[in-house]
Amino acid sequence: MRAQEQNAGSLTQDPQGNFGARWKSFGQASFGYILLAPALIIILGLNLYPTISGVLTAFTNQSLLDPFNWAFVGFANFQKLFGDPVFRISLVHSLVLTGLAVSLQVVLGLILAHLLIEQVPGIQFFWSIGMIAWVLPIIASVVMFRFITLPNYGFINILLNDLGVGHLARNWFGDEKYAFVLILIMHLWRNVPFYAISFMAAMQAIPSDLYEAARIDGASTWRQFYHVTLPNLRYIILVMVVLHVTFTFNNFDFVYLSTGGGPVNSTEVLPTFIYKQAWNGYELGYASAGGVIMLIVLVVLAFGCRKFIGGFSEE
Amino acid sequence: MRKSKRRLVIVYAGLFIFYAFLLLPIVWLVLSSFRNTDSIQSGRLLPYPSELTVTNYVEAFRIANLTTFLVNSFIIAITVMLLVVFIASLGAYALSRFRLRGRNIFMMLALTPQFFPYVLILIPFYVLMSNIGLVDSHLGLILTHTSITLPFALWMLTGYFSAIPRDFDQAALIDGCSRLGVLFRIIYPIAIPGMVVAGFFAFVVSWGDYLFVSILSQSPETQTLPIGLQTFMSSLQVKWGLITAGTVIAIVPTIVFFAIVQRRLVAGLTAGAVK
Repeated sequence: MRAQEQNAGSLTQDPQGNFGARWKSFGQASFGYILLAPALIIILGLNLYPTISGVLTAFTNQSLLDPFNWAFVGFANFQKLFGDPVFRISLVHSLVLTGLAVSLQVVLGLILAHLLIEQVPGIQFFWSIGMIAWVLPIIASVVMFRFITLPNYGFINILLNDLGVGHLARNWFGDEKYAFVLILIMHLWRNVPFYAISFMAAMQAIPSDLYEAARIDGASTWRQFYHVTLPNLRYIILVMVVLHVTFTFNNFDFVYLSTGGGPVNSTEVLPTFIYKQAWNGYELGYASAGGVIMLIVLVVLAFGCRKFIGGFSEE
Repeated sequence: MRKSKRRLVIVYAGLFIFYAFLLLPIVWLVLSSFRNTDSIQSGRLLPYPSELTVTNYVEAFRIANLTTFLVNSFIIAITVMLLVVFIASLGAYALSRFRLRGRNIFMMLALTPQFFPYVLILIPFYVLMSNIGLVDSHLGLILTHTSITLPFALWMLTGYFSAIPRDFDQAALIDGCSRLGVLFRIIYPIAIPGMVVAGFFAFVVSWGDYLFVSILSQSPETQTLPIGLQTFMSSLQVKWGLITAGTVIAIVPTIVFFAIVQRRLVAGLTAGAVK
């Protein structure tokens, strides 16, 4: 991101040493602000304002039943949160889901990238349809997964029956043990190809003489991967990880639309917990406090990823 | 020669595993949407040819208000797409071509909301929208989707525009082109691929959004397809023929649009981030 910015900066550098040129550039700049104004208003007014307002709401007792009548209550919402067992289990689920989904996505994405980079006939076809799951509305993906896992006539159970292991068939989304795994699988299904294609694009940019040099030094395939491929992918891995930590941790649709957090809270995550507090429980202040915790965790996770990924490949 | 043949087999086998997993849910959905109820409930993986039908589609339109949801989704997603690309292109032009004070701070500030929890933003959003009377209106949803997709589109287009040499602008300016003329006549044609991807991104987010619509829209007059599908799914528990047909209808526009942009998509999505 930084490189892009510097690049853009250098393009905007006008040679300006004298007073006249400064005036001219001021005239241009004011037109620039006019062009930027609509975006500025929308981003400040409809993004930053709601966020700040949301953080402030966390310290109030605002209720959906009477939203214009509220008072500051200090940290009461936060105290209540940490005493709430459903909140605690949601936090754990969110962290486990994010950690598992993102690390599996990186590993599977790397494997798929190595397959996609092979110059085999027809590989363009695999490139072109790779992102298909990513562009679908999440509700559509949920319908698909609920449909293949239906207890009586879903694909999975029919297949298990046909293979003679019908006793393994079950109501997958309704099963406390498997519902969470299914949510994880849906995350993998949607995002792994996105990782793979971005990794592949970055791998194509690695100069081939690096690999040649490694081969001459007698490096095995694994060592080439570890010492050439991985360090060169560090930046794109960081970008994808930060992007998907945010996506997974914030994602509401997959859980809410497939299990609603059940059975018995076994898939409850922070976004669904907060949504229910606000819109079913009417407690906007309490829900916002949950949102603030999410925000804090996200900031910590984003910096953590940066440190971790930036760190290990520098050795 | 032999080694490369073995390699070929391994590569195809690996690709087959990944893509079977990727495509299975989609293929099963589409196949089932053309099966009659008996066939879906038969416990057989494949239908007999005689069981294939289009009644599910006809019924889905008749029973489920699908036309209204479709029209709402199109109105909102297309307006959002055009609005986002237009506003973002003006802003990106300013950020890439003018010396603006506070530019870098703004670029950082603009992107931060992308990382904020939507469930948190939704609460003040609802209060704001009820204050200005935009709950349950198309305009309210359009503004919402515009605001959540604009930061990313702005970043992406700023990256694209910055990569276009300034010599082009200078030449056009000398030829008597206005500042805005440079944007419309010089930059737009060159940056079309980036603008299409930015537009696609806005379209996909708006088309697929469930969270914001579920709160900001309260009647069928403004509800979009994701809400329609969800109510469809919970109210028609056993009519999977209709549900799958409705879902296919909901994904066709995205898939058609995807087919047009897919070559540029990944490059575009990571453009703001990749060197």
